[in-house]
Amino acid sequence: MHPEISRIQNLLAGQGYIADRTIATSVYLSIALRKPLLIEGAAGVGKTEVAKVMARALGADLIRLQCYEGLDATTALYEWNYQKQLLHIRLSEGGERSVAEREAEIFSEAFLLSRPLLDAITREAAPVLLVDEIDRADTEFEAFLLEVLSDFQVSIPEIGTITAKTTPYVVLTSNRTRELGDALRRRCLYLWIDYPSFEKELEIVRGRVPAVNGHLAEQIGACMQLIRRIRLEKTPGVAETLDWSAALMALHRDHLDREAVEETLGVLFKHQDDATTVRAQWLDQLLESLATLEREGRPWSQELIARAADRLQARR
Amino acid sequence: MEPGTHRARRRSAAGAPVTRARRGDLVANVVDFCRLLRRRGLSVGPMEAADALRALSAVKVTDRHETYLTLRAVLASGQDAQRIFDEAFWEFWGAPQREVETRGAPGDEGTLSVDGQQALDRVLLEWHDDDETGGEGEQIPAYSPVEALTRKDFSAFTADELNEITAVVVAIARRVATRLSRRAKAARRGHLVDLRRTMRASLRRGGEIMEILRRERRLQKTRIVLLCDVSGSMDLYSRFLIQFVYALQHAVGRVETFVFSTGLSRITGSLAHEDLRAALDEIARRVPDWSGGTKIGRSLRRFLADHGARVLDDRTVVIIISDGWDTGEVDVLETAMAELQRRAAKVIWLNPLLASPGYEPICQGMRVALPYVDIFAPAHNLESLRRLERYLARAT
Repeated sequence: MHPEISRIQNLLAGQGYIADRTIATSVYLSIALRKPLLIEGAAGVGKTEVAKVMARALGADLIRLQCYEGLDATTALYEWNYQKQLLHIRLSEGGERSVAEREAEIFSEAFLLSRPLLDAITREAAPVLLVDEIDRADTEFEAFLLEVLSDFQVSIPEIGTITAKTTPYVVLTSNRTRELGDALRRRCLYLWIDYPSFEKELEIVRGRVPAVNGHLAEQIGACMQLIRRIRLEKTPGVAETLDWSAALMALHRDHLDREAVEETLGVLFKHQDDATTVRAQWLDQLLESLATLEREGRPWSQELIARAADRLQARR
Repeated sequence: MEPGTHRARRRSAAGAPVTRARRGDLVANVVDFCRLLRRRGLSVGPMEAADALRALSAVKVTDRHETYLTLRAVLASGQDAQRIFDEAFWEFWGAPQREVETRGAPGDEGTLSVDGQQALDRVLLEWHDDDETGGEGEQIPAYSPVEALTRKDFSAFTADELNEITAVVVAIARRVATRLSRRAKAARRGHLVDLRRTMRASLRRGGEIMEILRRERRLQKTRIVLLCDVSGSMDLYSRFLIQFVYALQHAVGRVETFVFSTGLSRITGSLAHEDLRAALDEIARRVPDWSGGTKIGRSLRRFLADHGARVLDDRTVVIIISDGWDTGEVDVLETAMAELQRRAAKVIWLNPLLASPGYEPICQGMRVALPYVDIFAPAHNLESLRRLERYLARAT
């Protein structure tokens, strides 16, 4: 393995990404080739964490642009500091200068407020630019972003063109609520992050919530694999697993039984409907599957649990 | 390498899928591999191949898994693309356990060192122009022309049933329309103050703000485009289809309606008649080839060329009503569908035959069109339409 890839892998391990070569290789390539990295996957699999790891690997700043519907170029790029402009106009009142001169003055760089994109290209040291949930922005913004990512320069009518001092490292994430354009895809390296396997999630739980005993951690991990097979409004991700583990700890639970699960369903499911569905239709089967797994004996593995999940699914 | 041997090597590459001693330099093999991916439908061109080479020179190509991950990150940009890539990778470079036998594959040369321009130059040298025809046989599986299609007789609709169907379809259309425009509304936070212009204006008054200038965010409404098959194979349904299209257009604003068989006609204007009978008369007069054969692909292409720019955008829902029984060229249909999907927000295909026992979307037209359809649903009776409505309700 390339030494830099294993270094990134170690950094990832610190974030709970255990031994994930796919992610490490993609991050490394994105750095080495200076190509934006597009990360797709379900919500809650830790896409954003990857950008943080990249920043740590580089010792660079992380600049985050959170996308939302209606995000436009102005909000993402720059804005004029209107308060400062107003104040300046007042302070320079009664001067000799013409309107045109004063106008040029207040629309100069001193009055410019950098938003994430402008900020990212004007840093002395290249930062990591995280464009989070690009799928939530509209296609016009996507086209605009593509332009910025191609040229790494922006033009501001009042000032002129600002060219990047350094090329930022770019990470884009998408939850796939809409398909991204082909042009953007082709410009990026691509990384798909799936829900973790049983083994991986177990390590994450152990690493992040060390107070959990081994037995409970395994039950939690297995339960997550089973729950992710159920059709829900929002399938719980790794963040929910960790919250759940912490909640069980807070309630001094050392194993999963009906009472423990019922008490903590609210932590695991963000939609009330999901909690209701699981409590009413699935809880018995979940506990039964766990009991079967216990009887089959340890060690538990992804294959073993996947088989149990298949049986669970088949019974519906 | 002399051209002849090069060609021969490639031909054997496609012929024998299992044991394949890939020889020659890594660059040629990577380019070949990229061309294979392109034939399988990935958007991989010389630029991507050059990127792949650049990427390979940054990793250890002796490590097969690393090479695999590297090429995949560069060349497969999507989950579906990754699946295609995986299959092609093992096929091209040999199965994992054959690692030792494969030569010239990643794992053969210790390092590769090319920079950007060099990479592109070498790729362009290798990237022969015969790739579009798929010279080495990535052929579409042979298709047996017409498999017997079971048809179900729908002419027996009662007037009551027709009315009810119409009501359900209108509900569906409303749901689609309001859902999208609700999203548009949420994005629009009333009037926006245009500070930049306000500030400029104030300058002329010594910094006194006399007037707040505002700007409006453009409110985009959902548009529905109906493309309705009125060819012979759909004859039984035509009466009922036109009726519900009529109802739809009157219930939901911003509907554009087209009918097609061998050609395409826009009937939005004709359907605007207050009286359905008058509307039907006018349509019958204006549509020349009612109940002829079908050229779906050609009709769609005509639609895209003549009306696409005006009616298609990312808020447009396209509803195609057809049995997919195309007598035209299949690849025309496929390109047209791909373009339609790209340019519209959603493509819904309602197929009156879908629920008939024994019917599978086997007719060639339907088969190539399916991958580009967001929702594929039967539209043969009330229950199927109700299900579609419930489906849309869940998707909301």
